[in-house]
Amino acid sequence: MQMSFANQALCAQFIAQNKGKLSISVMRVPDEIDNRVAALALKALGNEIDTLTPEQQKYLASWH
Amino acid sequence: MVSKVKDESLAAQGKLNVDWAEKNMPVLRLLKSEFAEKKPFQGTIISACLHVTKETAVLMRVLKAGGAEVYLCGSNPLSTQDDVAACLAAEGVNVFAWRGQTAEDYSACVQSALQITPQITIDDGADLTVAAHNKGINAWGGTEETTTGVIRLRSFEAEGMLKYPLIAVNDARTKMMFDNRYGTGQSTIDGIMRSTSILLAGKSFVVAGYGWCGKGLASRARGMGARVIVTEVDPVKALEALMDGFEVMSMKQAAAKGDIFVTVTGDMNVISKDHFPILKDGAILANSGHFDVEVDVKSLAQMAKGVKRIRPNMDEYTLASGKKLYLLGEG
Repeated sequence: MQMSFANQALCAQFIAQNKGKLSISVMRVPDEIDNRVAALALKALGNEIDTLTPEQQKYLASWH
Repeated sequence: MVSKVKDESLAAQGKLNVDWAEKNMPVLRLLKSEFAEKKPFQGTIISACLHVTKETAVLMRVLKAGGAEVYLCGSNPLSTQDDVAACLAAEGVNVFAWRGQTAEDYSACVQSALQITPQITIDDGADLTVAAHNKGINAWGGTEETTTGVIRLRSFEAEGMLKYPLIAVNDARTKMMFDNRYGTGQSTIDGIMRSTSILLAGKSFVVAGYGWCGKGLASRARGMGARVIVTEVDPVKALEALMDGFEVMSMKQAAAKGDIFVTVTGDMNVISKDHFPILKDGAILANSGHFDVEVDVKSLAQMAKGVKRIRPNMDEYTLASGKKLYLLGEG
């Protein structure tokens, strides 16, 4: 349940930070929160992952 | 303190359970220390409607650490852990929950959780959100934990009834791919084993619904040595189940083959009066969806000539033919 509840806690924080600014709708969890939860879980489990180098980012974004 | 729990003296046992859960929820521990420092909820009232379990208690601690005043009711009349409720009350959460509530108790507790107008609602099944709307509460926003609740809220939105923003936590990738698949998958197997104490290996195990919960359940059941059959209404998911290596067929066909049936669909009458006559003698029926509508228990009770409680969470229904069906957790 910790994945659900980490999303709950961070979404509650997101609501508090954005009070009055959110549209009245049923919205998706922001991607930043989803990614943050996964990153926290990896950290908690002691795993490191790679990040794209600037060169790799540029390659992915370009025609080739 | 306004809490209403079964027995406050259970708080010490509850604390042992909640501390154990917290130890095993490192992601929430990280957030708790972050919130304790930043206090994002200082002066904020949060009302929550969740299964009152040790894991939920850890979330309540995180919210409190962030400065919130928290009100909590149960999201199911049968799922509250009374020792956990007592522990939370002792720790300053306003709790309104005990195990074995009537429908009236349940609604009264949802109202109690809204007695002071919250700025944020946290829900599991949408009962709290609907009650808040009926009371005319315009919260900053709310969250919804489960598939069933999100379906209800989307209907609400479509009818133009929504009064404040809601976030479908259920649909987060980090929720569905993990808690639904691995969490519900494991806890459903655990629930079946505890209530029946049967051996799963070699049994024909029917999973109705191949969403994230169904995927997790099917692969865990296979890991226990069961022969798994999947039923679906969505052709893409049905094909996925087939290529994942499961047998796929209609519920009518599966009804004649299964030893154990589990519904994980979010819809009603998945196992219905059309299926009960086809089921094998001794078939076990369970629902892992949110509401007790997936197995048509009402029709089963009408068709049965007798019902007997065999073990906690397991009832034996004897049909006119003499065939016996076993229903877990009252559906």
